Amino acid sequence: MSIRFILCFNKQGVVRLVRWYTANESGRETQEFIAQIYRLISSRDHKHQSNFVEFSDVTKLIYKRYAGLYFVMGVDMRDEEPIYLSHIHLFVEVLDNFFGNVCELDIVFNFYKVYMVLDEMFLAGEIQEVSKDVLVEKLHILDKLE
Amino acid sequence: MGSSLKSFIKDIRNAKTLADQRTIITKQSAKIRTKLRDDHLPFSKRRVNIQKLLYLYILGEPTHFAQVECINLIASDQFVDKRLGYLATMLLLDEKQDLLTLLTNLLNNDLHHPNKYIVSLALSTLGSLSSYELARDLYPDVIHLIETSSDPFILTKSFQCLAKLIIKDSELTILEIFPIELIKEKFLDSPNVSLLTHGVWLGICKVLQSIVILLLDTSIQETPEFILAIRENLLIILPNLLDQLSSLNVKNYESNYDVQGIRDPFLQCEIIITLKWIFKLAKKVELFSPIKTKYDEKFIDIFTQLTNNSSLSLNKNPTNAILYEVTRTIFELEMNQSLRLLGINILANFLKPTNSASGSTEKGKKSKTNSNNNNNIKYVALNTLIRVVQQEPNAIAKHKKFISHCLYDPDISIKFRSLELTFAILNKDNLIELVNELIKFLHDVSLNNVNSGYVYIDMDESKELINYTIDNLVKRFDLYDSNQEKVKLQNLFEILKLTGNMISVDKLNEFLITINNVEDWKIKINCLVENIVSHMQKGKIPTSNICWNLIMIWSIGEYGDSITNQSNGKISETQLVNYLIQLNTLYSNTSKSSIKNNPSATNNTYNDHITMIQYILTSSLKLSSKINDGGNIESLRQIILNHQKDPNLMLQLKSNQYEMIFNQPANLKKLMLECMPNFVRQIETNGDETFTHTISTKAEAPSIDKNSNLLDLLSDISDKPSNSTASSVKKEVSALTLPNDAVSIFNNDLLEIYSHVVDVQPGNAHYELFFKPLSTPFNELHSLCAVPKQQKLTLGQIQPTHNNIDVNQITKQSLKIAGTGKLKLRVKLNIVTGNNETQQVQFDHKFNETI
Repeated sequence: MSIRFILCFNKQGVVRLVRWYTANESGRETQEFIAQIYRLISSRDHKHQSNFVEFSDVTKLIYKRYAGLYFVMGVDMRDEEPIYLSHIHLFVEVLDNFFGNVCELDIVFNFYKVYMVLDEMFLAGEIQEVSKDVLVEKLHILDKLE
Repeated sequence: MGSSLKSFIKDIRNAKTLADQRTIITKQSAKIRTKLRDDHLPFSKRRVNIQKLLYLYILGEPTHFAQVECINLIASDQFVDKRLGYLATMLLLDEKQDLLTLLTNLLNNDLHHPNKYIVSLALSTLGSLSSYELARDLYPDVIHLIETSSDPFILTKSFQCLAKLIIKDSELTILEIFPIELIKEKFLDSPNVSLLTHGVWLGICKVLQSIVILLLDTSIQETPEFILAIRENLLIILPNLLDQLSSLNVKNYESNYDVQGIRDPFLQCEIIITLKWIFKLAKKVELFSPIKTKYDEKFIDIFTQLTNNSSLSLNKNPTNAILYEVTRTIFELEMNQSLRLLGINILANFLKPTNSASGSTEKGKKSKTNSNNNNNIKYVALNTLIRVVQQEPNAIAKHKKFISHCLYDPDISIKFRSLELTFAILNKDNLIELVNELIKFLHDVSLNNVNSGYVYIDMDESKELINYTIDNLVKRFDLYDSNQEKVKLQNLFEILKLTGNMISVDKLNEFLITINNVEDWKIKINCLVENIVSHMQKGKIPTSNICWNLIMIWSIGEYGDSITNQSNGKISETQLVNYLIQLNTLYSNTSKSSIKNNPSATNNTYNDHITMIQYILTSSLKLSSKINDGGNIESLRQIILNHQKDPNLMLQLKSNQYEMIFNQPANLKKLMLECMPNFVRQIETNGDETFTHTISTKAEAPSIDKNSNLLDLLSDISDKPSNSTASSVKKEVSALTLPNDAVSIFNNDLLEIYSHVVDVQPGNAHYELFFKPLSTPFNELHSLCAVPKQQKLTLGQIQPTHNNIDVNQITKQSLKIAGTGKLKLRVKLNIVTGNNETQQVQFDHKFNETI
């Protein structure tokens, strides 16, 4: 029913963000699991193929590439695909707004802030706030809190 | 603190080689471990180390050793510590760990913290890590927040968190005390609109969904009071949901939530999903049907409004998402016919090429940005259509043009799905048209194989496509009417020409049977003459198209005399004989050379060539009884003698046996080698199992020893007077009877259902279900089946028809289950009876077998 995991990796397959919402989705071999996803997605033709791909019997991947970064969501096989694509896009827009023209290095060095953005947008794998303005405003407050 | 984390990340990034990086990481990891063990480490240092640790976590390094440290950080009074502590806890722990009990108190305290940001952290964490115990212990605190808080920031999170807790609560303890009417009073009907932000709405939707899902899942014999009350309340909330959904579709609203001009597609989707669940529950418990009908109309109205409203800005992802969810709901709730048709039209629209003008796909470079968005929606539309094709096969068949169009999409997954759908809508009426379309498609794929025009489809994938298409096409050969035999043969040869070099020889049995069973002799021979002439004119024999050759060889053996007679002198006996000689040399040589060179690598080709030679031998023998010229007969004998010392035992045996027949007196030989309809059976035993089965349901096929072809040939003669032509066998199949070993698995006054085991092996099972109407004829019969999660089900179409089934007329459906475990089945039937009443039947069945 909800998002099972959110991943972000670059074109070389180096993971930049990983968040599991379902316990033991991958079993023990988490790294191998991510590597499989990377191989599958990076080999797809991003102009002519859809942004959806079935990954296992239970998981479907929804992904989009922004510059050199892939943002991937794993969702339930029965879930609806198109709206998750909007989820990804909103997430990237909020990151862009929050960091001001976000780039990969922002995400590398401020990964804990990226998690903060993620957790303001998604709670336990469900989208909780969809207004960019509300999100960005809250994030700036949170960022200043010590 | 930032600088040292920064330099840590820089160090790792700057490593020259992977080995260097590994050394740095191992060293740093050990360092973090020692530091964290130091009880006197100040919190600020502790934080930096946990941050470093999280970086290592992202890189996939082991980090479990610090789980307790993370929880300790939460215990700090400082917000920064708590924030990092909660984050680390969510990342490093999961719901299954015992350590979670350590969290109970911390969370309990923080849920009541005066600082709302700390409350928010606690809610996020509780939602993410809600074990059953945590849910049980902490739900009163979350409910308390919903009751007392007036800050949307907290309320949003409280609802989301509560939704997670409810799902975990299989004992329904939360539901028992959750004041669901509070949602209505405090939020939905409150004049204080500032409480009800879109975030809060989303949260409320999630809570409602969790409640309904839980109610649907739990099967309680006696419904307790509070559940009845919850159902009532869900119903009272229904109008609010409907109103909100329609107001989201009214323009001139503040546009804070717009996505590409669509008002909050996230919330729209979420409300639609919530409505879907509530109506599902309403359908199941049949409790509030009078009130439900009242909202049904409104629901339908809004849906119609949605489909009309959003269609203005097609091709935007948010619109598509909403429309897609609408159609899914229509089919999942099995809403009325007109909405279903509307849904199919929406989906079919998704399949339309980007610019409706034809041929735009080639010049469509300007629509580049669109093309992948377009593919997204094609992909989901095809998926949905495949799912609902059983419900509305005819309505979907109307859009065959768009479906066929998707066959040429560059995306392999779209190709496959449109293929699957094409076969699902294929029926007697559109047979010719669709088969032509498929032949065109095969042409495209096989060409692509040679030219590799597309980079994204490799050889294996196109082979897979071709084999999938052929497998399904041969199953449809029965659909042709007896007056379409000419087209049928033409199609068959066309398919072979295109793909004969890419499919395996084993698949040819169906082709042979089809040719064999053509009743109109003249059409059959004419078609063969045509193909042989065009084949010989080319001069060269393409060895690669092995299947084509096999069909030629077989036809020459069976019909050699008729072919020469009807060819008007275009084909002579000698030509046919020479053809066999040529092929014999060809395959004998290659089979010898391949066995010499590398027997294992070319094993497949080798086996194929052996098969070919077997066919050549049989064909030579048969042809010899059909021609008169002594020289030619001798040449044929030489072909057979040629293999008397063949290293392959099978060929040697055949060669010797055939030679014996060869030497029989001419009249006896002629009788033995007449072209025999029974050939069908002989093929069956070597070949396709499913086909063997369909036949044997009618007549007990004589058990034939695979290896004694000679005996078999002879036994066929004695059988001759009684032999039923294969086509009559086929006709019998369409009037199905129950197999003897079918067992009844369900019956009521409407119908009886039997199951029959076709084949059960580890990992795979094949069953057939038989449906028999008892009291009234069925106008329509649709069946949906489900198996446990670890298994996969392939459901066949209802045969011979799912329309207009008389009382006691048997129809069947094949079930193929792959996977492991006990075989359980949930069957759901939608029946339209003779007097146009719609009936639903649902039951579960456990098979005795296990895979």
